[in-house]
Formats: sequence, structure tokens, C-alpha cells
Amino acid sequence: MQTLEVISVNLWQILISLANLVVLFFILKIFLYKPVKNIMAARQAEIDSGYAAASEAEKSAKADRDAWAEKIKTAESEAQAIIKNAADKANDNSDRIINEAKDKARDIIRRAEAEAELEHKKAQDDIKQEIVVVSTVLTEKMLEREINEKDHRELIESFISKIGDGND
Amino acid sequence: MNKRNVGFYIVDGIYLAMAILPILFGIAVKVLFTPLSEGIAISGARIFFSLDMPIQPLIVTESQLNSLIVMITLLGICLYLTHGLSVRYPTRRQHLAEWLVEKSEKMTFSNMGEGFSGFPPLIAAILGLSALSSLLSLFGLYPPTSDINVVSGWAITVFALITYYKFKCGPVYYLKSFGDPVPLLAPLNIISEIATPVSMAFRHYGNVLSGAVISVLVATGLDGLWGIIMGWLPSPLSEMAFIRIGIPAVLSVYFDLFSGCLQAYIFAMLAMLYISSGYPRDEHMKRKNKKQINKKTA
Repeated sequence: MQTLEVISVNLWQILISLANLVVLFFILKIFLYKPVKNIMAARQAEIDSGYAAASEAEKSAKADRDAWAEKIKTAESEAQAIIKNAADKANDNSDRIINEAKDKARDIIRRAEAEAELEHKKAQDDIKQEIVVVSTVLTEKMLEREINEKDHRELIESFISKIGDGND
Repeated sequence: MNKRNVGFYIVDGIYLAMAILPILFGIAVKVLFTPLSEGIAISGARIFFSLDMPIQPLIVTESQLNSLIVMITLLGICLYLTHGLSVRYPTRRQHLAEWLVEKSEKMTFSNMGEGFSGFPPLIAAILGLSALSSLLSLFGLYPPTSDINVVSGWAITVFALITYYKFKCGPVYYLKSFGDPVPLLAPLNIISEIATPVSMAFRHYGNVLSGAVISVLVATGLDGLWGIIMGWLPSPLSEMAFIRIGIPAVLSVYFDLFSGCLQAYIFAMLAMLYISSGYPRDEHMKRKNKKQINKKTA
């Protein structure tokens, strides 16, 4: 078997080697770089879309939170207004009830006073009557004569009423 | 998780076989075609056959076969690494593939700057082809990088790219660049231009070949040393040079592993630097902008 000299230049071998390098360049480009870069680009796209979706979700969540905070704030003020209304109404009611009760009580007292006055007068009249009767009897006995009740009645009554006035 | 069925593993096996079998085939060819009587010798690649072609006969040697082996192996590795890629659940091999791609891109862009987006695969091809070719010597195969023809093919490719990028501003600008800084230096500039690919080819080839030569010399020297020291022993023992065990392996670590990878790195680095430094970026950008402005006004 022959061997080449240690240094021997052959044009065709140079060309073959040159072609080998170019072919290997295309092999690497097509079978290593292209698929790997495609995958990396796809991953990058996925990551980008994931980030976009996440920021979108965050934004909507923030908007929701703000809206709810707003709603809670208005709800609080509404509740306070309702409570205030109710308290006012209750106060009004109680005032009215108390006033009514007071009025009624005053009425009752006035009526009772009037009744008492009436009774008092009646009793006074009765007592006068009695006194007239008693004094007539007494004077009859004292004078030993019959006093015409009818004749002297006015006189006696004026007398008693004078006494009564002096007593009162 | 992407589905791993039997078919997936079968395809995996095919790809792995594609990466490994060519090397075994190369070893088999080497064993079959090497005569038993061959001693220690420094020679070029073994010739398989030659075809009649114009100018020179086309000689197919071990370098061509081994280059082909390296290329098929690299193709198998590429296919294996990119098999079953997934966006969400990267496997270990996908991590490796992505690491390779990203690393080579980073290296290319940091050395060449912007405007060379198509170069990472070329740089990776130079690195892979050169390193694996040199590492073939670990399997006892003939490393194609110790053949001047193989390496000069790559150097000529790089030279063509350098010239292509120097031509970006037109032939007049290209010719003018030789008269820089003084027209008197034009001959020297032309010589240095031609010297670029020649020096690249010779540096790489010389390093790998000298490693092989030194290994052979050391092996021969150890053989002789054993004969001198242990020559008094009976016949079979005095001929078996046990001293040859171990010491050549240490040399192999340097010349095959370290030097092979280093030369690949140097070749790729020089290719990047020469191409990017030959490209008149500012001038080209200026002309491009002017053209665009002209287009807009017209």
C-alpha cells in the first residue's frame, strides 16, 4: 500500500476539504442551529405571552379591587345614613309618644281636679244644707218656737255662708 | 413530558450509531489496510485509490476518509442532540445543544461584533471539524489535520471570506486598502494578505504533524533505549520494549488532546479576527446610509 509524502499538495484534495467544511457548515446550520433556535424562539414567545397574560390579570385584579373598595366605601356611608334615619325616626316617635302621654296625663289630672272641685262644692252645699237643718232645729229648740223654715231660710243661709267665708 | 415510546429510542439508537459506527469503521479500515510488517515510520496519509482528473490526479487517501468519518459523526451528534426537542421540558441533551448554540453565538459575536449573524455555524463547523479530526489520533486513526491539503482547504475558505468582506465597499476601495498607510508598502501588504491563509494552514498542520512526528521519535527512542539497557536479557524479553508503555500516553495527552483542541480554537479565533478586521465596517455603513438617503430622496 502506498502512502503520500509527508508534504504533498494536491489541488483536488484541497477542494474536497473546502467542500467538506462548507457541507459541515450547512449540516450544523440545518440540523443543530435551526431547530435549537426555533425552540428557543418558541420558548421566548411562550414566556412573553405568559408575562403579558400575568400582567393583564394583575391589572384586572387591581381594577376589581379598586371597584370593590369604592363600593365598600359607598356601602358604609349608606349604612350610616340608614342608621341615622332610623335613629331620627325612633327619636321622633319617642318624642311624640312621650308628648302624647304627657298630654293625656295632663288631661286626666285636669279632669280629676275638676271632679274634685265639683265634689268639693257638692260637699260644701251638702254641709250647708245640713248646717241649715241643724241650726234650724237648734234655734227652734232655743227659741222654743217654730221657725218657719221657709221664711228664714235665706237669712240663715247668708249667715252660714258668712261663717263659711270667715272659716275658709 | 413528551412521550418516549419505543420508536423514539430506536431513532435515538440510529443517531448514536451514526456517531459511533463511522469511527469503528475507520479503525477497521486502518487495521485491514496496514501491512503487518510495518515498523515505525513517518509518512503521509495512506492512498486508497486515485482517479485521473485534469491538472492532477484525484488521490483519495485516509485524510478524505477520516474527514468523512468526522462529518458523519458530527451529523449523528447533531441529530441526536436535537432529537425530541421540547419547549417546556428540556432534556439533558437539549440543554447541551442549547448551551453549544448559545456559547458559539456568544463567542462569535463578542469576537466579530455585529453584522456577522450567519457565522456561528461556520465557526462551530471549523471548531468541530478541526478538533474531532485531531482527536481521531486517539483512536489510532490518521488525523486529517496533519495533511496540509485538508487544512489549506479550510484556510482558503477563510481567505475567500476575508476577501469577500473586504470587497463590501467595492473593488476600488479594496485596491486602495493595499496602499495603506503609504502606497510604498503595497507589495508588503499584498504579501501579508497572501501570507494569512498560508500561515493559518501551516500553523495548524505543522502543530498536529509535529506532534505525530515527536510521538514517533519518542517511541523509536524508547525502543532503542530498551535495547541498550535490557539487551542482555534473553531474546523475547529484550525485544518487547516495556518502557514504551506509559510514557507515550503522557505525550499523547499533550499532542493529541491538548494541542488538537488548542489548534482548533486558534484556527477558529484567527478566522474570526481576520474576517472581522478585514471588514471596513464604518466605511460600509456610511455608504449604506448614503444609499438609503439617496433612495429616499429619489
